Amino acid sequence: MDKQKITFQFISANGESQEVEGLTGETVMQVAYDNGIEGVAAECGGSMSCGTCHVFLDEASFARIDAPSESEMDMLDIVSSDRHATSRLSCQIKLGSDFAGAQVHIPESQY
Amino acid sequence: MHDAGERFRPFEHEGMYALFAEIRQTVPVFYAPEIDYWVVTRREDVIAVLRDHERFSAAVATQAVVPWPPEMLQYMVDQGFTNESVQVACDPPRHTRIRSHVQGFLNPKKLQSFEAEVRALVQGYIAAMKGQESIDLVDALTYELPARTAFLLLGVKDIDPRRIKKWTELRVKLMHGHPTREEQMAAADDLLDFWRFSCDLVEQRKVNPGDDYPSWLLASRAGDDSRLTENEIKSLTFALLLAAHETTSNASANVLLELMRRPDDWNALVNDPSLIPNAVEEGLRYVSSVVAWRRVAKEDFELGGEHFPKGTKLLLSLASASRDESTYENGDIFDIRRKNARSHVAFGNGIHFCMGAPIARMQIRMMIEELTSAFPDMALITDEAIEIAGVLTFRGPTRLPVRLIP
Ligand code: HEM
Ligand code: FES
Repeated sequence: MDKQKITFQFISANGESQEVEGLTGETVMQVAYDNGIEGVAAECGGSMSCGTCHVFLDEASFARIDAPSESEMDMLDIVSSDRHATSRLSCQIKLGSDFAGAQVHIPESQY
Repeated sequence: MHDAGERFRPFEHEGMYALFAEIRQTVPVFYAPEIDYWVVTRREDVIAVLRDHERFSAAVATQAVVPWPPEMLQYMVDQGFTNESVQVACDPPRHTRIRSHVQGFLNPKKLQSFEAEVRALVQGYIAAMKGQESIDLVDALTYELPARTAFLLLGVKDIDPRRIKKWTELRVKLMHGHPTREEQMAAADDLLDFWRFSCDLVEQRKVNPGDDYPSWLLASRAGDDSRLTENEIKSLTFALLLAAHETTSNASANVLLELMRRPDDWNALVNDPSLIPNAVEEGLRYVSSVVAWRRVAKEDFELGGEHFPKGTKLLLSLASASRDESTYENGDIFDIRRKNARSHVAFGNGIHFCMGAPIARMQIRMMIEELTSAFPDMALITDEAIEIAGVLTFRGPTRLPVRLIP
């Protein structure tokens, strides 16, 4: 299947939003990295070992995409910034057409 | 042709950054005959290897650079030294199993919960420095403090941190240094004492569990060897007694030294403490305490345009990677306001990513916060030479003499 372009938004802790574009199959973390989005440290490079790629999604998108795996849920329990109902690890969200238009909120700190 | 291999002195830190700066553009990888490793110089390649745990094994990460003499090995075994690779030097699936237990304790949230206790520790050390005119910051702060923080995690009380530091230095030298045969043999008994100390700690927690790392591991094991064995827990405790402070002592002293060398930066932090967290990251980038880390290839591979056979040993220069100009503009310049400072590889990358990073950062940040606030005029005593102690992988100043008041 040809890769499709998916457009969505990053919203920083102080409310600034930035529209970005990624390709299906890429992770939200990769798109953040490619676009120089601040606040997604993603220090383990997507191997689910650091918890510094934590983001919150808008409710509708969270419900629309595949649910997080059990190990992602475990990791979300121990991230440094408070977990929300729609928390995800951005390295574990693969872009699909159901992600178009999503709002990805970045926590204040990943320390 | 280049002569990087002949010029690279793996155990000496004087001139190491300058050499990498000179060669990084043109030499992505070179052979270091003194250690029989290929040295990887660029950030992109270093990260690619760290992330590719399928093809690159961590088995050599803490292997003795100078192998132990067979008599020493035998003696250690006879004396009950059953330490095994549990984390940083093992691969999946073993690594995955063990890390999943460890992560229940060594995780960002749990480590953050030590914030108030660590702050009190730092303040205690700073209070003890007050009233003095000049001081060696290593001796007065960075050497001991991280060991005390490690004790918090381990629930250890009433132990002289210097005892652990001495044991640790010995262990580091045996793994990453180039000891003589005499030094190796002489170290055996001390190493055994260190191991027995770790084992005793675990034995005590079996009887008297607390809210600490070994107790957590024992609970997580739940008496089931297929989850985690007791010997693995002893090895994990032994490992943490090194990993949790050696690197942080060096890293904090490295950062403080760079700041002391640049009074303008120090003043900037005094006037605006909100700059401190990024200064910590820049310090970790500019002079990490872990300058290199090791991997061995499980299959043939290509790197930097060259082919390598299975079994090739790689020394990943984290020092060089964190200054790579392709990611860091003017990478050899220390800039506390650098935007992408935090993307350094001081804590590794991939499945072995440092599990203590949050508390390491916390300690360095607090040391700078408390020092800038207590001693805003602190300045390096420049007429005293500063020696950088180094083994293959670790680097840090042995002394850091400063004047506390003008
Ligand atoms: C500035 C201080 C520190 C530095 C520079 C540092 C650096 C590193 C590096 C380079 C690795 C290997 C990563 C890899 O193979 O990709 C590592 C692993 C590790 N570190 Fe740290 N570290 C520091 C502090 C700490 C502290 C304070 C703790 C514990 C509280 C800690 C616990 C660990 C553990 C358990 C691992 C093994 C992780 C694994 O193999 O899965 N470190 N660290
Ligand atoms: S990048 Fe480390 S957990 Fe996602």
